[in-house]
Parts: sequence; structure tokens; C-alpha cells
Amino acid sequence: MQQKSLTFITRQAPYGTNKAKLVMDFALASAVFEQKINFLFIDDGVFQLVQNQNAEFILSKTTGRALETLELYGIKKVLVDAVSLEERDLSEEDLAIPVKILKEEQVRQIAAYSDVVINL
Amino acid sequence: MSALHTISGSPSSGLLNSCLRLVCPGDGILFIQDGVYHGSPPRLLDCVPQDNALFALREDLVARGLSDRTSDRITPVGYDGFVELTVNYDKVISWS
Repeated sequence: MQQKSLTFITRQAPYGTNKAKLVMDFALASAVFEQKINFLFIDDGVFQLVQNQNAEFILSKTTGRALETLELYGIKKVLVDAVSLEERDLSEEDLAIPVKILKEEQVRQIAAYSDVVINL
Repeated sequence: MSALHTISGSPSSGLLNSCLRLVCPGDGILFIQDGVYHGSPPRLLDCVPQDNALFALREDLVARGLSDRTSDRITPVGYDGFVELTVNYDKVISWS
């Protein structure tokens, strides 16, 4: 199978809608086919990364577990938009998993150089 | 590689601002569904660089009574034009 570069952009907070989960499932499924994958958190999507979440209280699955599976599936490029973090008063220490923080221009380049961009 | 960005939410959705973070010179933006409200008033588009072509789906403009009230910067296209745009750009990035 031809290898393509795929960028998944996740822009929604974790529990209010199922969009965050959809992007994650889509990315994990693609990873099985050994595609080149970027997983990028932008806007409210960065709220998925906040540590010490426990969604049992709202009868949902905590996103932290799913985030850890990204690495298990070989998705190494877990990226976060610096501006989105800053706007929400979050910093790298507040996040549940190791990520690479991207500046504005780097975010632009990621999308520009991907064959396919999935954006929810 | 240039991209066509489709925006389907009204200006209050904030999708245009999110989209502009990824837009590169030469990319196009196509407004569909409630996205066509971005054309009126025209100042809503002041934040979009001049080298980005802007389009809106004509059917959605007409349906909302916006055909004569939309920014001059926007080129109305029909469904055939929509298809042509998706083919002419290297990829489509949808904002919804």
C-alpha cells in the first residue's frame, strides 16, 4: 500500500461531543495501515490533554487512556498548537502525555505538507 | 501543495479564525451552508489575506437571500464549480 502522510486535527473538548473520540479512532485505524501520521491538537482540542481527568463521574471514558494508545500504535508525532495552549492558560506541565509544541508557522507547514488532512 | 478549505458554520462559529491558522498563500476558501454568512457584511473577510481566493456555494447564498448582499471578494460557484475546485486544489480541508 502506498504510504501517505495524514494529519489528524482534533479541535473539540473531550466529553461534550463524540468528535474527539472519532478523530482518535480514525487515527488509530490509519496507524494500523502504517501510514505517516501527525496528530495535532488545536483550539479546544487541547483540553483533551489536561492531566488528572476522571470521566467516571460523568459516565464517560477518560481520554487519558486513549491518548496513551497513540504511542502504542506507533503515532510518534503528537503535536500541540502553542497558541491554543496559551489562550487557555495551559502549559506543557499541565498535559497528560509528552507532546511536541508547535509555533504558528510550524502548524501551518504541517497541514501544507500533508497529503490528507482530517479535521474535526 | 495548495488546499481548498471549506467552511460550513456561520461567523459566530469561529471556524474562519481557526482555519486562518492553517491557511497558506495560494489556498482557497469555499463557504458552504451557514458559512456563506461570512460574505455579509464584507468586513468579516478583512482578516483573510488578499492572495487567498474566496468562493461561496451559490445555492446556499440564494437560499439565504444573500446573492446581492455578499462581499465582492467572493466568487459564487454552483455545485459543478464546487466539484471543479476540489479537483483543482491538491486537497480539501473541511471546517465544520
